[in-house]
Amino acid sequence: MKELRRNMRLVGALIICLFTLLCAGYALTVYTQGAQWASTAYNTRGNASGSLRGEITDRNGVTLAATDEDGSRVYPEDSATRRALSQVVGDTRGMSGASVETFHSATLMNLSNSLTGRLSELISGARHVGNSMELTVDSRLQAYVSSIFPEGKKGAVCIVNYKTGEILCMVSKPDYDPAEVLAHPDTAVEDTAYLNRCLQGLYTPGSVFKIITAASALENDPGVVDQTFSCAGIWEFGSSKVNCAGNTAHGNLKLKKAFAKSCNVTFGKIAYQLGEDRLRATAERFGFNENFKFGDFLIYNSKFPTQTTGDADLVWAGVGQSTVLVTPLHMAMISASIANEGVMMRPKLVREVTNSNGATVTRMETAAYRQVVSPQVAQTLASYMYEAVQSGTASKAAISGAIVCGKTGSAETSDDKSVKTNAWYTGFVYDDDHPYAIAVVIEEAGAGGSQAAPVAAKALKKALELAP
Amino acid sequence: MAKAPDVSKLKRALMRSNTRLLLSAVLLFQFAACLLLALKTQPLDTQALLFAVAVPLTTYLFSTLITRLWPVDRAIIILTLLLCSIGIITLKAIAKSPTTPGTQAKYALLGLVAMGLGMGFIRLMRRPGKGLTLAMMVLCLLALMTPWVLGSWKDGARNWILLFGGRVSLQPSEFMKPVFLLVLASGMSNRPRFLRTLPTLAFAAACCGILLSQRDLGALLIYFLSTVAVFFVATSNGFLTLAGLGMGAGAGYLAYRALPYVQRRFAMWKDPWSDPENYGYQLVQALIAIGSGGLFGMGLGLGSPRDIPLYHSDFIFAALTEEFGLVFSVCLLILYVLIIMRGLIAAMNARTSFHSLAAFGVVAMLGLQTMLIVGGNTQLLPLTGVTLPLISSGGSSLVSTFFALGMLCGITSLNTEDEARDIEQIEIRQEAML
Repeated sequence: MKELRRNMRLVGALIICLFTLLCAGYALTVYTQGAQWASTAYNTRGNASGSLRGEITDRNGVTLAATDEDGSRVYPEDSATRRALSQVVGDTRGMSGASVETFHSATLMNLSNSLTGRLSELISGARHVGNSMELTVDSRLQAYVSSIFPEGKKGAVCIVNYKTGEILCMVSKPDYDPAEVLAHPDTAVEDTAYLNRCLQGLYTPGSVFKIITAASALENDPGVVDQTFSCAGIWEFGSSKVNCAGNTAHGNLKLKKAFAKSCNVTFGKIAYQLGEDRLRATAERFGFNENFKFGDFLIYNSKFPTQTTGDADLVWAGVGQSTVLVTPLHMAMISASIANEGVMMRPKLVREVTNSNGATVTRMETAAYRQVVSPQVAQTLASYMYEAVQSGTASKAAISGAIVCGKTGSAETSDDKSVKTNAWYTGFVYDDDHPYAIAVVIEEAGAGGSQAAPVAAKALKKALELAP
Repeated sequence: MAKAPDVSKLKRALMRSNTRLLLSAVLLFQFAACLLLALKTQPLDTQALLFAVAVPLTTYLFSTLITRLWPVDRAIIILTLLLCSIGIITLKAIAKSPTTPGTQAKYALLGLVAMGLGMGFIRLMRRPGKGLTLAMMVLCLLALMTPWVLGSWKDGARNWILLFGGRVSLQPSEFMKPVFLLVLASGMSNRPRFLRTLPTLAFAAACCGILLSQRDLGALLIYFLSTVAVFFVATSNGFLTLAGLGMGAGAGYLAYRALPYVQRRFAMWKDPWSDPENYGYQLVQALIAIGSGGLFGMGLGLGSPRDIPLYHSDFIFAALTEEFGLVFSVCLLILYVLIIMRGLIAAMNARTSFHSLAAFGVVAMLGLQTMLIVGGNTQLLPLTGVTLPLISSGGSSLVSTFFALGMLCGITSLNTEDEARDIEQIEIRQEAML
């Protein structure tokens, strides 16, 4: 019996220790990660709380959303501004899932208020007022970009600061009017208007993906710079083929020129040389197939095929076709990392959260996300992108007096030639005071060089004027 | 059986004062929570109003009357009833229809009867003979096998049987838990040599095999770990215990390799966010619910824990945390720990090794099951579909847990009587010496 008791004491102590560990582990993870769990896109909870939502302001202090005396939510007076910011700010009905109003609902209402705060409210009878949020976007830039976006087209434009990761502008078309949606719940909005295409639009990148293919080639074989490729406009291998736009033969050319001219044959051959694994490794370092969890906004995950079905698939993936998919914001982050010596900054949409007394609750720090390529490779890629603007397909992105680097893309989304390609442009301005990177996509508009590049030029020009 | 002696007045008074405060607090909590739920809707929710009267009243009457009958550990009774009422209140707050909490309350009443039966049963059985042990073994095996014949697949396991044309569904693996523990305690009592434990171990292995065939992995794990715990305590054979655990781990690895559904569970445990809309859905929704609760919860009856699949059974801990918050749920775990500690004391004070092992088995099983499901709800352990004892909805689990805890309480009453008899003996001796 004595032995029995000793053993029981031992096992009992073990069970209680395990319980303590469980409690501690549980409490710790919930305390540190609970808010993050609750703020994911998969949370379908409404917001049936009686508290007043805090304000949302842009980087210059312009009010984008506020709650008035009787508790109703007001958005800017100018309907064009409201529309321009519709999917960024969102509405209190939660129609736009990726918006600040929906995603940061708990923060805006300050549901995780401290016990003392709750008690003092209970005693004083004051209405619970939520936190205010300052965003990184510039509402003027946002409104301007929205106004120059081709009429009637769908697509997205996002501009980020490549040194800080701040998102300055996220325009998604079509858009909607949040005030209208609140006032008349059964207003019909344009199809997919609630979607923020910058974050939730998964697009075939087409030739803008050549930045990744080129990066992979430069990393794995520095000698590729001097290799000469020959392009007859079409390259047949095995039973399949890859061809350049309009079957244009580029002749003999080196990587730099092939990049500037956006030669599919050359990049197809490079992808073939690299092989699937190396190309995927580079793409994944740039953030493809990664589960992005940034905490202040949600973004869909860009995809690079985890298993190509054959050589043709690999070659087409190398020129950004096949099943490669990317979000516009991610594409802007990729350009941004090239401009920032290979360091991808952690993107941010929220600058600061303050409580109802004006005290700072959280301040988003500037942080590097990852070194995606070496500074040397980034430098070389930047020079290629500069060349593309100087003498290549991206010439319409040039801004006088600024060093502009970029890459165009015309992504095929259908085998049917009557459907126009999605026009892509991504690039940046080399300027220490205005470190901006951009991605533009215009759905079914045609060639990136003629359709997307001019929009990017105008948008960046405006951004340079507005700053700091 | 010896005649039950009078427990000294002093001891009885001490016992009562110890638990009086606890009982008042529990009654107040039950009343306030039910009243809150009753006043939440317009017009008044009559069911919640009924609960506001019936739940505290039942708790008071049962805990008072049962101590009149036998000198059981009142703290265990009160804590058990508190946990059970938390279950009913939570179900009342989150379930869509009033039938779920209503049924749970009815099962709870049945559970109280089972608890009384458990006490009486264990008090009669100081040491079961070979015949009785054998009978229990056969009963347990036969009952576990019934789903082969009468069972139907549900949520990937075939561990339910339907009786009377589908009107009653039972889970034999739940009902057989107390019987299984009794067989273990009986087979392992009186410091057996290894060879003498073999029949019991073979019996346990057969049970585990049957459960495996029904894909009831949660119950399998609990049966296995309880066996290992009782075996170690009874034989002090550390080497064989570790070997058993190692074999279990090996079997687990084989199961992982062979069953794609175990692999999926495992992958979802490591990163549920990788597939938040299909296989990871349950866990992601549970974590979101827990996160939404924050420190102090969304408030009873608020929030929307119904977004979690199986919110009333496997995931009730997550649902409860959304309602009551992190602080409350940690306190809830402490309640389980308190029952376990009281139970361990009872196990150590028991006079026969059979009772000692039976009490220990009940405690170990309760602890393991709670840890498994709480860990599973919170992504600290891979998810195994077992119930949160006394709280999850479901009659089989509730009644069987009540019966097991009744056995534990019965053992505490025997301990108190034995102690009182000792005191009497000493007093008589002292008087004789004077």
